[in-house]
Amino acid sequence: MNVAIMKTKAEQALSEAFASRAGELPGGEAAAKLRLEALGHFGALGLPHRRVEEWKYTDLRNAMKEALPPASGKASLPSNAEVISVLGPLATFPAHRVVFVDGRFAPDLSDLVADGAVTVSSLATALEDGGDVAELLAAAGSESNAVVALNSAYATDGAVIDIAAEVALDRPVLVVHLRADGDAVTTTVRNIVRIGEASEATVVEAFVKLPGAATDYRCNTLTKVAVGKGAKLSHVKATLEAGAGIHLANWLVDLDAKANYRAFHLTAGTGLARNELLITFAGEESEIDLSGTFIARHGEHVDTTLVVDHAVPRCISRELFKGVLDDHARGVFQGKVIVRQDAQKTDGKQMAQVLMLSPDCEFDSKPELEIYADDVVCGHGSTSADLDEDLVFYCRSRGIPLAQARALLIESFVGEAIEKVEREDVRDALADIAREWLHRAAAEKVAA
Amino acid sequence: MAAVQETIDQVRKIDVDQYKYGFETNIETVKAPKGLSEDIVRFISEKKGEPQWMLEWRLEAYRRWVNMTEPTWAKVNYPKIDFQDLYYYAAPKNAEGPKSLDEVDPELLATYAKLGIPLREQEVLAGVQGAKVAVDAVFDSVSVVTTFKDELAKAGVIFCSISEAVREHPELVQKYLGSVVPQADNFYAALNSAVFTDGSFVYVPEGVRCPMELSTYFRINEKQTGQFERTLIIADKGAYVSYLEGCTAPMRDEHQLHAAVVELIALDDAEIKYSTVQNWYPGDKQGKGGIYNFVTKRGDCRGRNSKISWTQVETGSAITWKYPSCILRGDNSCGEFYSIAVSNGWQQVDSGTKMIHLGKNTTSRIISKGIAAGFSQNTYRGLVSAHRKATGARNFTNCDSLLIGDRCGAHTVPYIEAKNSTAHFEHEATTSKISDDTLFYCRQRGLSEEEAVALVVNGFVRDVLQKLPMEFMAETQKLIGISLEGSVG
Repeated sequence: MNVAIMKTKAEQALSEAFASRAGELPGGEAAAKLRLEALGHFGALGLPHRRVEEWKYTDLRNAMKEALPPASGKASLPSNAEVISVLGPLATFPAHRVVFVDGRFAPDLSDLVADGAVTVSSLATALEDGGDVAELLAAAGSESNAVVALNSAYATDGAVIDIAAEVALDRPVLVVHLRADGDAVTTTVRNIVRIGEASEATVVEAFVKLPGAATDYRCNTLTKVAVGKGAKLSHVKATLEAGAGIHLANWLVDLDAKANYRAFHLTAGTGLARNELLITFAGEESEIDLSGTFIARHGEHVDTTLVVDHAVPRCISRELFKGVLDDHARGVFQGKVIVRQDAQKTDGKQMAQVLMLSPDCEFDSKPELEIYADDVVCGHGSTSADLDEDLVFYCRSRGIPLAQARALLIESFVGEAIEKVEREDVRDALADIAREWLHRAAAEKVAA
Repeated sequence: MAAVQETIDQVRKIDVDQYKYGFETNIETVKAPKGLSEDIVRFISEKKGEPQWMLEWRLEAYRRWVNMTEPTWAKVNYPKIDFQDLYYYAAPKNAEGPKSLDEVDPELLATYAKLGIPLREQEVLAGVQGAKVAVDAVFDSVSVVTTFKDELAKAGVIFCSISEAVREHPELVQKYLGSVVPQADNFYAALNSAVFTDGSFVYVPEGVRCPMELSTYFRINEKQTGQFERTLIIADKGAYVSYLEGCTAPMRDEHQLHAAVVELIALDDAEIKYSTVQNWYPGDKQGKGGIYNFVTKRGDCRGRNSKISWTQVETGSAITWKYPSCILRGDNSCGEFYSIAVSNGWQQVDSGTKMIHLGKNTTSRIISKGIAAGFSQNTYRGLVSAHRKATGARNFTNCDSLLIGDRCGAHTVPYIEAKNSTAHFEHEATTSKISDDTLFYCRQRGLSEEEAVALVVNGFVRDVLQKLPMEFMAETQKLIGISLEGSVG
């Protein structure tokens, strides 16, 4: 059809901006070629819309009518104290800290200890120094996912984290992506996490903003994760960008045999957020545990999309996502579990639960099972409802005031997901942030 | 693993060629020329002696269909259908109207006897069980025999073929036809609207509880004919009707297309129970032949406190593609969907339901049991949605799949859309094989492996079996047995 050829203003801008930007993007000739190829994929795909099955409930073409210019990196760097202040509870635990401001590495704000166990560098440096372009810049799904393609084309920087084999990091690696620009801009970042055999580590990605940053923004982030044989990685993402912008995230995770991968997502206060996770089991007897909680109100839109690909036998997957929706907010959960023909003895369980606090919010859920092996145990569940009045009544009959009773119940609801984070200091920080957001929302409601 | 290895082996050995109902009846038929055009639509309409408005309605559907494209989103694969290479009308020559069973072509009666359609036997059975079943037997496209008409007429119930209804009750047909599934609803519904040849029409007047179960047996017989039934059931205020539909088809090499449309309308306080047992030819063991079953079934709970319940047992067809749905428009209305889908050989099933909550305090319940064996693909695809104004909506969904053999697939694709906070939706799905523990437990109680598997499968589908009318229970158990022959002993 002719209609498909029509490009929206944003699509045109995204395709055309490349010519003027190409010179500033890091990497040599090979990188430039790969970027151009990815841009070609984007050109063919266009922005995904509701007729694209994976984007049925998140119409990006409609949401992204305008493309914003790329961040220039001109905003002045904040002080260390300012960074700690915007991190809030996330600054309370000791960490190897690496900071990016508007998609550019800020070494002065970072706190890196080179101890041989972990090496952190910036993607831009790695590309300039002749790092493996395919490893750094290519990404699975670039041909079919426009957001991934855009990331490959435009990624400016990001953290490249290498954790040696047979080490256990005592401190998490904290990657901070800070929004500073006062103008509405687009940042595109690419992180790489590689953890060696039999090692253990925690990586936390935080997306926060400085008080002076613009309300509108675009952020496209992609993290490639490779978990080595027998390694254990706990991977946390806190998306707290406070604004009406669009945050698009992709995590592409490959697991070797006997690996253990735990992911947790906390999303609050983001205009439109889409967190996509693609997990591929490449070695047997691995385990994953994906969990998360999202808090959305006003007209916010939070989309969690998972694809768990059991390509080999004897792997275990667990997913638990909890959301709280208020006002006109919309929550989306799409969880697809694929069990390939030879992936016998697969054990997969998935649950998505949402609390709807306002009559006007909406939750769309699509838990999906695609199973080609017979010796498996797979299940999924999805529930959505408002707060149980019986529980509220029970609390009130014990002398707890209404507002407090509701807060208590909501907190305990999201708490179930947060408890999945194993490291206590990180878990407490996340719980504090969630509590803060819920209290702020409740207080604003009372004030209104 | 070892415990069910034998079962798996036996499933592989299943000889689908032994399709019990594979035979042909040699009765002369009248055919329209191959292909589809406005002229064919006019031909069909003229053959059926339809009034002008009906022809216009068909033509409008045809014109919409011409501009539509075939849907491709279902998880099924099949070679492209050449819609110009099909016969759209075939009727037995002596269809002018037998007045009683005695006048019916004996060969036809013999066919039914082979199929086990209990035209007379049913009466005996009915006598024993105190229940009566009226059978509107459809042989290819024309309604041949209608029994129990008088008794139904006494109650004021209209049960006739849709072509008769067009002639005798045009006001009802005009009012309700296409009001649930509009002509251009989807590709196959549009095709059906243009060329439907026959089907059943039921109208149960206000306050009447239909005195017997209504039943239609469909049968596809003529080579290369697509059968396009159109069923319309209306339960007026406070009425109740239970409708049974059962299908078998003879063995055939070419793929056959079946695109039916079923519309149910329940007004205030009315209840419709629609049960289907579908056992069309699934193709041979190489996956050759078999029926394409692309059906649009939809019920509209138009009145307050109305209820529509779908129960289906799908064991046949090479490809099944259908989603019996409920539009819960009236306040406090209720929709139910109970399904057993058994697939074996190279069968492909993409089935499920849609529960669309529009009225206040509407409830729905979905119980779906899929059993996949051989090389088959069995998909549950369903939608549960609550409109902004559908306060107090409730849904419970449970879809379980059982896999027998490691070359089959079972998939679950539910869409759950809650657009208001007072809607309480629960969805759960599981997929597994028969657990070793369960088998071991049965075996240590002295059951053979085959008996144990049979016991577990029966238990697995029991929730749905129990929702079937008595008359179908025995037949259904038999059907599931035939479908899984070799795997459940």
